[in-house]
Amino acid sequence: MENMKTNETRLTKKDINSLGKRWIMGSQITWNYEKQMAVGYLWAMLPIIRKLYKDPEEQKEMLRTHIQFFNTTPHMGGFICGIDAATEEHEGYKAKETVKGLKTGLMGPFAGVGDTLFGVLFPTIFGSIAAYMGQEGSMVGAIIWLLVNIAILIFRTFTAGIGYREGSKIITSAKDKLDALTAAATLLGVTVVGALVATVVRANVTATFKSGEITVNGQDILNQIMPCLVPVAVVAFIYWLLGRKKMTSTKAIILVMVLSILLHVVGILG
Amino acid sequence: MEIQMWQIIALTILSMILIWDSLSTAVFDGKPIFAGILAGVIMGDVAVGLAVGATLQLMVLGVGTYGGSSMPDYLTGAIIGTVFAVTSGQGVDFGIGLAVPVGLLMVNLDVLARFCNVFFAKRVEAAIERLDYAAIKRNIWLGLVPWGLSRALPIFIMLVFGEDIVNGLVSNMPEWLTGGLSVAGGLLPAVGIAILLRYLPVKKYISYLLIGFFAAAYLAVPMVGIAILGVAMAVIAFRQSLNGNQAVVAANSGVSQEGLLDGEYED
Repeated sequence: MENMKTNETRLTKKDINSLGKRWIMGSQITWNYEKQMAVGYLWAMLPIIRKLYKDPEEQKEMLRTHIQFFNTTPHMGGFICGIDAATEEHEGYKAKETVKGLKTGLMGPFAGVGDTLFGVLFPTIFGSIAAYMGQEGSMVGAIIWLLVNIAILIFRTFTAGIGYREGSKIITSAKDKLDALTAAATLLGVTVVGALVATVVRANVTATFKSGEITVNGQDILNQIMPCLVPVAVVAFIYWLLGRKKMTSTKAIILVMVLSILLHVVGILG
Repeated sequence: MEIQMWQIIALTILSMILIWDSLSTAVFDGKPIFAGILAGVIMGDVAVGLAVGATLQLMVLGVGTYGGSSMPDYLTGAIIGTVFAVTSGQGVDFGIGLAVPVGLLMVNLDVLARFCNVFFAKRVEAAIERLDYAAIKRNIWLGLVPWGLSRALPIFIMLVFGEDIVNGLVSNMPEWLTGGLSVAGGLLPAVGIAILLRYLPVKKYISYLLIGFFAAAYLAVPMVGIAILGVAMAVIAFRQSLNGNQAVVAANSGVSQEGLLDGEYED
């Protein structure tokens, strides 16, 4: 039986529908600076974890896995939940590392498409129309936008199902190649995180240096050394901090807030 | 006209529903034009609400909240602006003039709500260690409270105490605090990334971290482009490890084990 499917419990259509709805309702309700959407992801996966893993220790470990940092466009997260559910259904507990890689590997790309589409494109197009007509005293544009948003919501209820079906295919065909897949997904994830450092952390250096008549902008000097130097330094600093004993992420957050206020007061960051 | 108590309560509830909707179903998506219209309905003057909301909407076109960045809270601004435009009788422009500073000020409460939820996330983590599903669920849902209060409380207070306190608050908030919090809003995502780096086998894959950073920072490649690059490299790595000899496969399976150790992060 060793080479048979490790997990004999099967997910039903109802499980997957519920997964999609739970993601829509839960993805952001416990949004926080430390884990971002991780708690919402956990919320979406809760019933599936309880169904797939009977051993309490395995349950606990999967709960821990799903409460790790996660962030993507809420509209797109359903796909990832679906793919994840398919992976865990087929591979069971030994897919833990694959799931970690898949989640971090997929969240960036999905956010890249999703943020552009649902965060910028739709609100800009329909928001412009609604605002323009609104200033003219007409509600028609706002009503059109509302209908579009309702259509998007309906689309979102299908995303987990699509991810689950397509994910099953991918995972079934690559079944024996789990290690290679994990390595590949992790590689993708790390690449995306590298880009995140440069795009998500914002630091505006306001310090200027006077040398005789010439005033030099601190940000310009830093940019000549390396773009995003401050974000890199901050991430590296916190990464180092987290490796130290007795340092928790909460302490790191409080430290960043205090440092931000101090750096702002002395005029280095603004 | 004087604002009635039922209107204050209705507007407070409206603000909570709108923020919760923007976090989940997103049919109103937290957009000021809808907030303005709905506040206008409650105040009995939809035209003013529509005009205030539409103007604020133009100010936030294309502005989104990605990766937890906060933007001016023109949802709250639109509600407050509409109400005072109607009650003061001074019209739409007055309402907008009030809505903008309120929106800028309220961004701090958005930051605070996101920060408060760290607390509930910690409690969820503690509940996981006890395998206490009731506590896990309860603490996830409690995450709604900071979100709801971050809009409902200021709206309720501002509507009860009137516009004097609004103006007073806006002009008296010390700059070191507002400026410092906005710096913190920019830097805080670094904590999330650093945790992620602790979690991933980053030492093993350091080259890819550098490649991703290089493409984004120096080449300004957008995230979808980064993803294409990442997928391309992932496919190459996947093929190589499949075609490689037994030693390579063995080394690769070693990678994930070692990666787990490297990436282990105890909170």
